[in-house]
Amino acid sequence: MIRRSRLAGLLHLWPIVALVLLWDVWVLANGYTSIVAPRPWSVINDVVGNPDAYAIDFLWTLAISVGGLLLGMLLGTIAAVLISLWAPMSAVLTPAALIVRSVPVTVMIPIIARVFGYEVYTVLVVTVITSFFPAFVLGLSGMASAPASSRDLFVVFGSSRPASLWRLRLPYAVPNLLLALRITAPLAVLSAMLAEFLIGQQGLGYLFIVARSYMEIDRAWGTALVATMLSVFAFLAARFVERRISPRFT
Amino acid sequence: MRLRSPRWLNNTIGVLILITVAELIGRTGIAGRSWPPLTDVVGYLAEPVAQATVLRALTATAASAGWGLVLGIVFAAIAALLANFIPVLRPGLDRLASVLNAVPLIALAPLLITTVGRESTPAVVAALGVGFVMFVAFTAGLAGASATHQDVFSVFGSARSTTLLRLQIPVSLPTVFDGLALAAPTAILGATIGEWFGAPRGLGVLIVSAMQNYQVLLLWAAALTAALLSLAAYLIAVRLQSGAVRRFT
Repeated sequence: MIRRSRLAGLLHLWPIVALVLLWDVWVLANGYTSIVAPRPWSVINDVVGNPDAYAIDFLWTLAISVGGLLLGMLLGTIAAVLISLWAPMSAVLTPAALIVRSVPVTVMIPIIARVFGYEVYTVLVVTVITSFFPAFVLGLSGMASAPASSRDLFVVFGSSRPASLWRLRLPYAVPNLLLALRITAPLAVLSAMLAEFLIGQQGLGYLFIVARSYMEIDRAWGTALVATMLSVFAFLAARFVERRISPRFT
Repeated sequence: MRLRSPRWLNNTIGVLILITVAELIGRTGIAGRSWPPLTDVVGYLAEPVAQATVLRALTATAASAGWGLVLGIVFAAIAALLANFIPVLRPGLDRLASVLNAVPLIALAPLLITTVGRESTPAVVAALGVGFVMFVAFTAGLAGASATHQDVFSVFGSARSTTLLRLQIPVSLPTVFDGLALAAPTAILGATIGEWFGAPRGLGVLIVSAMQNYQVLLLWAAALTAALLSLAAYLIAVRLQSGAVRRFT
């Protein structure tokens, strides 16, 4: 039984092992010095050996991403509820959805940085704004997906507006909001890091710039490694939440 | 019974509302001097010098994004076909795709600057972003044929390649084009991120340098251009997708 699960684990994890090995072979085969590209072991050593060098910036970026993600999704949901209560405003849904789908965060971040200034909280504003749009768009379309027959039923039984919002529309929006969470979680980490890279004074994106300018190659690659793990775990956590909760609402 | 306005009218009103809000924020100056009225930005873009600068950057970014899109699609197709013909690779490749999809593209920067150089980094970052999205679309599409159809093909002894060509690929096209609608803006995101790491030209470079030098109108003009490029790429992909749905479902 144990052997079998190990085998299954191998079936799932071989690409990650292969990637690390490929990385090592690639460095050796090209004869890169450690300034050009470090070997995986020395990067892993740097991360494992100096946890305190990464800890503060890691926790900082984690806090900014999670805080911005939750705040942005909350504001997006509130905006969706308000707009769903006031029919004429629903016209902005399609153009807003187009903005979410198409405008890259790299275009938004410099403008947000300029408008809000080079402050620490600007990084938070960036993550809030990137997390706002998916929750807004998906939440609104979720609320609109409540079937007409159910809506009629609520009307016939004289349900008040807040009651039908709470008991009919919001439950219909939950799976969509969880989908927004899964989409946004890695995106929030990416935009936090991009903002730190551009304007930050702390966090993984900033640590990356500092390491790069002091030619601490192991540290720079280590930052990339830690950031990747943070983003992947954010994605896996969001997917776990979605798989747990979503079936109860569909 | 309430009269419903037609969809295009609704959308036009929505766009007008958003543009008006942006214009008013600029006119009143409540967001400070860094948020100009949109009319000023458009006026700035009409000047020949500014237009030339933005156009040069636009061609560079569009070329990187285009190359990235093509490369990403080709590699994703190869990987998806491998996963299709060698099933034992499948769970690993799926896991790899979902993990790689979550990798922040900025983390790949040190790797790419040392390997492919500053010139080609934008196209390669774009290709990676596109590749992850398209791999998921290809594998989901190829697996999308109904069990009944699969059975018919195997009962009549069709070769694996015939099944692929006559059943799986036609069935997969709507999903693949769905992926393309996600991948097209991703290509531009990847290209601009790649440009941040020291590419010689491109909209990403222009946006960052305009931000640092407080050239507010240039910043907005370049950002609007990048947004419109991305929007156009997205709308073309959506159009292709609805065509594929009509033809193949």
